[in-house]
Amino acid sequence: MRTSRRLAIAAITIATAIGVAACSGSGGSSAIGSGNGSAATGQKVQGGTVTLAWPDGSAPNLIFPLPPATNTNGYNVNLTQMMWPYLVAEGDGGQSAVDPAESLYSSLAYSDGDKTVTIKLKPWKWSDGVSITSRDFTFVYNLLKANVPNWIDYTQGLFPDDVKSVQTPNASTIVLNLTRSYNPNFYTEDVLSGIPLLPQHAWDKESATGKVGNYDETAAGAKDVWNFLQKEGSDMTTFTTNPLWKVVDGPFTLASFNSNGDYTYVPNKNFSGTVPATAKVVNEVFTSDTAELDALRAGGSLTVGQLPQNDVKQIGILKTEGYSVVNQPIPGVSGTLLNFYNAQTGPLVSQLYIRQAMEDLTNRSQIVSKVYDGYADPGNGPVPTTAFGQWSSPVEKSGGPYPYDPAKAVSLLKAHGWKVAPGGTSTCQSPGTSDTECGAGITKNEALSFQLLYSAGSTTTDEMEAAIQSSSEQAGIKLSLKSEPFNTLASTVGECTASSHPASTCGWQLVDFGYDPYDLYPTGATIFNTNGPNNLGGYSSAEEDTLINETEYGASAQTFDTYENYTAEQLPWLWTPLPSIIDVYKSNLGGFAPLNPFSGSINPEDWYFTK
Amino acid sequence: MTSYIARRVAQAIVVVIGVMILTFVLIHLVPGSAARAAMGVRANATRIAIFNTTYGLNKPLYAQFGDYVSGLLHGNLGISYTTQQPVSTLIAERLPGDILLLGVSTILAVAIAIPLGIYQAVRRNHLSDQLLDGISFTLYTMPDFFVAFLLIALLSVQLHVFPPEAPQATTVGGMLADPRALVLPIATLTVSNLAGYSRYMRSAAIDVLAEDFLRTARAKGLPERLVLSRHVLRNSILPIVTLIGLTFPNIVAGAVIAETVFNYQGMGLLFFQASTSHDYPVLLGTTLVIGAATVVGNLAADVAYGLLDPRIRHGNS
Repeated sequence: MRTSRRLAIAAITIATAIGVAACSGSGGSSAIGSGNGSAATGQKVQGGTVTLAWPDGSAPNLIFPLPPATNTNGYNVNLTQMMWPYLVAEGDGGQSAVDPAESLYSSLAYSDGDKTVTIKLKPWKWSDGVSITSRDFTFVYNLLKANVPNWIDYTQGLFPDDVKSVQTPNASTIVLNLTRSYNPNFYTEDVLSGIPLLPQHAWDKESATGKVGNYDETAAGAKDVWNFLQKEGSDMTTFTTNPLWKVVDGPFTLASFNSNGDYTYVPNKNFSGTVPATAKVVNEVFTSDTAELDALRAGGSLTVGQLPQNDVKQIGILKTEGYSVVNQPIPGVSGTLLNFYNAQTGPLVSQLYIRQAMEDLTNRSQIVSKVYDGYADPGNGPVPTTAFGQWSSPVEKSGGPYPYDPAKAVSLLKAHGWKVAPGGTSTCQSPGTSDTECGAGITKNEALSFQLLYSAGSTTTDEMEAAIQSSSEQAGIKLSLKSEPFNTLASTVGECTASSHPASTCGWQLVDFGYDPYDLYPTGATIFNTNGPNNLGGYSSAEEDTLINETEYGASAQTFDTYENYTAEQLPWLWTPLPSIIDVYKSNLGGFAPLNPFSGSINPEDWYFTK
Repeated sequence: MTSYIARRVAQAIVVVIGVMILTFVLIHLVPGSAARAAMGVRANATRIAIFNTTYGLNKPLYAQFGDYVSGLLHGNLGISYTTQQPVSTLIAERLPGDILLLGVSTILAVAIAIPLGIYQAVRRNHLSDQLLDGISFTLYTMPDFFVAFLLIALLSVQLHVFPPEAPQATTVGGMLADPRALVLPIATLTVSNLAGYSRYMRSAAIDVLAEDFLRTARAKGLPERLVLSRHVLRNSILPIVTLIGLTFPNIVAGAVIAETVFNYQGMGLLFFQASTSHDYPVLLGTTLVIGAATVVGNLAADVAYGLLDPRIRHGNS
């Protein structure tokens, strides 16, 4: 359901350095705003051009808002959601909550034991003046139903598989009869938040010259419409000229699009919500962090950009150029993935006490303060406390179950039959499966030694992994670090489970990809459940599966805390800090803060200049 | 001369085909899955299968090569796995910018280096020669990105004279419409090339100045200006012609560092990004274009040699 949207936010923060270090001269003060930032003061004015920096590789390549399975470019969402927003808007005032004002529904009600959802639409209109109706929803539903699994956001069992029937009693009401009960929070925040409405009256066509009909109402017709819209939507030369893409219901329309990924929005004058105050939003792709930083330091062209963590010292210079800086927490889970099915190290990481010892040796608070200058979530468990204030449990908020404690790590290993060699490599002296022995599959004299792969290109990540490597030595746990380009890691680190274990891609032991972004409801489904599509290391726990299911399908408000605390303690990943995004914006730009982390802080519909 | 050129063209075609075959085989030997690189680490088996079927990666290697050659003969370089755009479109969009920036900087570097090299040769071991030598060596040892950072720090960040970015237009016309933005990237690339060219020119001119035919020309009363322009220039320019021939593929291949620092998307970044993401069609397409440019550059240098030095022309015929 959320694959491409997750990528959209994730990709914003991927370091793009390719061997050229940014200038990092003295920058004076590195004081930075809080997550809420400080609003621009002064009188709001209409008009003005906002120029927004995007990182290397962020050029969109599809304008049709439902990408096919082969298109993983998360930046397409950033292009399309300003024109075709989702039924449910995420992030209200920077909080992990639904934003009713920007959503397309006027009311959402769950009934029949949470198996029926009744959605009433706002009386909004498309940019061509036609009303948005329930038919626009059934158009989307029919297209998806006929074309899954060739939809990038498709997750087996979820929308549209879980919809038994759709009723449209009137033009503004949609009734979804689901195949099972859902937790309303999960269904609203993680499922309906990924469904846009599309203009059936303009897009239900099988060819450019054909007439609009109701082709989507048959499976064959829906396939033809899907194929037509995919083809038209991938022709970048016609993004601004094709009549299809001129019918929008979002705050902006597309005014220009360059093949290099630069594009410009202008306000949708017929937007039914609040029409944006700015006259133009220019999106400019940068080939490197260095180039973006130079543009910011030159002080002229950019209104909004992002500062790499490595360049925090530049904040002082940027402030003299008229910029404000704000810290944006990322809604995601960060950690080191463990391959439970690696022939050599799988038996080691399968032991909870070894995972606990490794976590005890990770000095997360020091990494946050020394490596990330304080601009990171501590990563105390599966739910980041900085981005999900209302979802993170008291256990996580108080530091998590495993605060830094090297002495505890040493004693844990000794208690299980290990000869601990601080600064060296600890070895198993008591093989066996009793409580005082090393554990199943671990042989006598076996070493506590792992290779840790991680994504190259970020100095702060290098420093964090080196810090973990260094602190692990205190208990004789040897980590060999190896950094590789992200795409190389992605192509060689495969999903390894009991049933699927290809030798070519399951040689890895530990890997750190950065983080896995969440939607509004931070469930661990697909990441930590057995055979979850994103559970690469094959972690498997019946209890974990049950708890995850309850977060998605149960109604109890307590369920989430129970799941979160259990997952934090069981360590399906080794938790690590999650660095924040540091946003830079012109001080006369209002509406930028408080940030909405759930849209990657890209909400130009809320921005305005002040004088 | 015609048969000489025809022979060299035929050799060039064979070389390009060889490059294509070698590249195709080598990139498919690189460990890792193109589908995973393109689809991301969390793509499930169903999506990987859809990807492989869509791009023919589920076929044997010889069949994939057959498909590629067939497409090539129809003018189709394939579709990029990551951008989902035709490779020919990607190359056509990026090539003009590189040719403009690198072409202009190469022309400027040569135009400055030739008189500079002759001047230094004539003034050999004088103070001015030694001063220019020092400057040349300094520039020669400075990496591109360092020159770029210096220029940006001084002229963009401090003095706000020129923007730190190259023009953001995707056409040559659009780029030329923003001349201020052209200054720093062209200056950086010119400086980088200038030092090398002037050193070669100086060395060649010193050799020519010691030749007997120059003494004869002077003894016959030929003015020094004509000695330099007619005899020294023509005879010492041959190494520069070779260098320009070798530089031609660089113009087409782009300049990753300049593209990265000055924020423009050229062939260099296209190739770099394709190589890190297993984007085979883009890798093949760019390699093919660069390979063709290499043989064209060498061919052009050989022909220019023949035109400049009749002994070579006659020797080959």
